[in-house]
This record gives sequence, structure tokens and C-alpha cells, in this order.
Amino acid sequence: MLRSSARMFALYPLLFLGGCATHHAPSFSLFGAYFPGWMLCGIIGVFVAVTLRLLFVVSGIDAFLSLRLFTYVSLGVIAALLVWLVWFGP
Amino acid sequence: MKKVSLSTTKPVGIVIALLCLTGATLLGVHVAHKNSAYPSSDSGELDAEVVHMASTVGGRLVELRVHVNQAVKKGDLLYRIDPEPYQLAVHQAEANLALAAAEVENQERLVAVKTANAEIAQNQTQRAQTNRDLAARTVDRLKPLAGKAYIPWQEYDQARVVLNNASVSLTESQKQASAAQLAIGDLKSSLAAQQAAQAALEQARYALKQTTITAPTDGYVTSLRVKEGEILAPSQVLFTLIANDSWFVSANMRETELAAVKPSACVTVYSLIDKHKALRGHVESIGWGVLSADSAGLGRTLPLVPRQMDWVHVAQRFPVRIKLDPAAPDLLRMGATATVEINHGAACP
Repeated sequence: MLRSSARMFALYPLLFLGGCATHHAPSFSLFGAYFPGWMLCGIIGVFVAVTLRLLFVVSGIDAFLSLRLFTYVSLGVIAALLVWLVWFGP
Repeated sequence: MKKVSLSTTKPVGIVIALLCLTGATLLGVHVAHKNSAYPSSDSGELDAEVVHMASTVGGRLVELRVHVNQAVKKGDLLYRIDPEPYQLAVHQAEANLALAAAEVENQERLVAVKTANAEIAQNQTQRAQTNRDLAARTVDRLKPLAGKAYIPWQEYDQARVVLNNASVSLTESQKQASAAQLAIGDLKSSLAAQQAAQAALEQARYALKQTTITAPTDGYVTSLRVKEGEILAPSQVLFTLIANDSWFVSANMRETELAAVKPSACVTVYSLIDKHKALRGHVESIGWGVLSADSAGLGRTLPLVPRQMDWVHVAQRFPVRIKLDPAAPDLLRMGATATVEINHGAACP
């Protein structure tokens, strides 16, 4: 259980890498307004942090962690930055 | 509810937390570096050059060959202003030119006549000179004869009077000859009048040509809202032609990013009309100045310095002009939103 969850965690960035090969503008439109790409990356980072927290609690990894706030925030930031690099990075 | 402790002493957890923090920090630094080395902007705007179509002459619009949003080619006839008044002006100018030419011929005849008169006056001077010489010789011959009383004094006196008359006649004819020479004149004034008439005719022909307006460049007709019959003043704009030969993006970039924006750098542009199609462009130039609130004051007055505590300054942005390579026409509309990525993106491998 622990090993499979750890493997899944390691694969997370790759999931993002695989899904975003297409090129498009670094801005997305919502109800006729354009939002910058980094805002989308930030939202994805928050979602990733929350999802990881849920997965880790369910799988029991959470019990091994300490300084959980910093850990999850860092994971969310890493996810957001990776998404930015893959989508909009040079 | 289970209490979550933030300050546990599990070493594995602390190692994981430190790894995550370090990773996030390093990645953040890397991304910040990339972001400043490869700037991008999502506040660009598609831009093109425009021609405000107007004629230098006024009149009634008699023929309108285009309609709004139509694409036109360079040299196409766009519209025509009633040419009749300008044709009439050309006729008038032609008549004036003919009049001036006739006046030149007239003047040539006058000069010929006056030249002949001057020659006659010159000949008369010679005749008067001959007569005077003869009279002088007669007086010379009669003087000794009269002194010895071989001839009456009366005869000698008559000869002297004849000499005097001949001298007066000579002086008169000399003056007449020089006056006649002066009176010949020249063709300068009539030739100048002819040139003025010629220039007036060319002006009238130019004005007539201006009643026909052709497209100065390939482009699209916009903001055309009138039909035939409209009266146009000289230089009144009838519609705006968006030139289709060169499209630009004007993107505002922060001053901190301008060091990475070099002229002729490759740019990936997305027109948000279709944000999946990457367009290629090149940086053409960077704006040299923008109006700021601090420099907006009048030159003669004292500087306006507001009292404030502005510890945070927002970076100034300058318009960067990016020239687009030829692209699909349906992506290019003036004023459309565009995003630009300098030196990276799909169009700049």
C-alpha cells in the first residue's frame, strides 16, 4: 500500500507532462474574459495539494509526515510550477 | 476529531518536509529565472496601419464601388466624385491657355512691326545725317564767296538756315531711332502669362484626376456608412482602409523584461480569435517613451510632487512592436487580443 502510493506520488509530475503536449496561448478564456495561465497553474497547485492530502490520509502515508502544512504547501507549489514549465515554459 | 500535531519528532516526516521545501524553492528560483529570460505578455493587441480615405477635392459622391468590410486590392477604384465641375474647370483653363498662346503670337507680330519701324528710323537718321553734311559743305563753300560779294548774303544766310534745319532734323531722327529701338520690347510678359495659363491647366487636370479615388494598398474597407449622393467636402474622410500588407502586435512589456527583448528576436503570437494557431513574428522595436503621471505637468510650471508613502512601485510597461509574418486572414483583425512569447513558444523552435 505504502509502496504503490509512493510510486503514484512519483508519477504525478509525469501525468501533467503527458497530458499537455499541445501548444496554445498562455491565457484561457472563461465567460468572455481572459485569465492568465499562471492563475490556472495556481488553482491546479491547490487542487493537487488537497488531493494529495486526501490520498495520503486514506493510504496512511500522512501518519509518517510531520510539518504537514509546509509539506503539502510545498507539494502544491511544485505541482503548480511544473505545470507552468510544461505548458508555458520555454 | 483527531488532533493533528504540527510539531512531531518523526525524523522521516521532517526529512520529507525538508525535501519538499527545498524542491519547491529550487523549482521556484528556476521558474523565476526562466520567466525573466523568456518574457511573455498576454495584453497584446493586433494592430495594422490605416489610411483614412479622402479626396483633396470636394463634390457629390456619384459612384461608390465598395461596401463595408470588403477586401480591396491596390489600385482598385474605390469611389468617384462628380467630375463635371472639374472638367469644366479644365475646359476653362484650356481656353485661357489658348488665349495666352494667341497673345504670344500677337506680341510676336507687334515686335516685328516695331523692329521694322526701328530700322526705318535708323535709315531716316542716316538720311538726316547726309542732308546735314551736304548743308554743312554748302555753307563752307558759300562762306568765302559771300565774303568777296560774289553771291548775295541772302543766299549764304539761306544756306546757313538750311544747315540749322538739317542739324535739328538729325537730332530729332536720332532720338526717334533710339525711341523706336526701345519700343520694340520683348515677349517676356506674354510668355510668362502663357506659362501661368499652362500651370493653371495642369492644376485643373490634377483636380479632375483627384475625383477618382483608388486603393493605395491592399486592405479592408471599414466604417463606411454612406451611399452615393453624399456631398463631400475637400479632405473629408469617407471611410478607413485597414492596410493588409503589414500586421503588427503591440504588446506592453515590463521594463524589467526589456533587457531580454532584442530587435529581430523571434516571437510566438497567438491571436485569441483562435488560440490554438501559433503565429510567428519578430520584435521590430520598443517604444521610446510613455506618458506618466509624473511627467504630465506643464513645462513652465513647478513639478507636481504628491505627498505619499509609495514604498511599492508598479513596474512601468512599454509597448513592444512585433511585426507578424504573413498569416491566415481570418486570424488578423485590428484590435484583437493577442498573447506574445518572446524567444520561445510553438513558432520559435
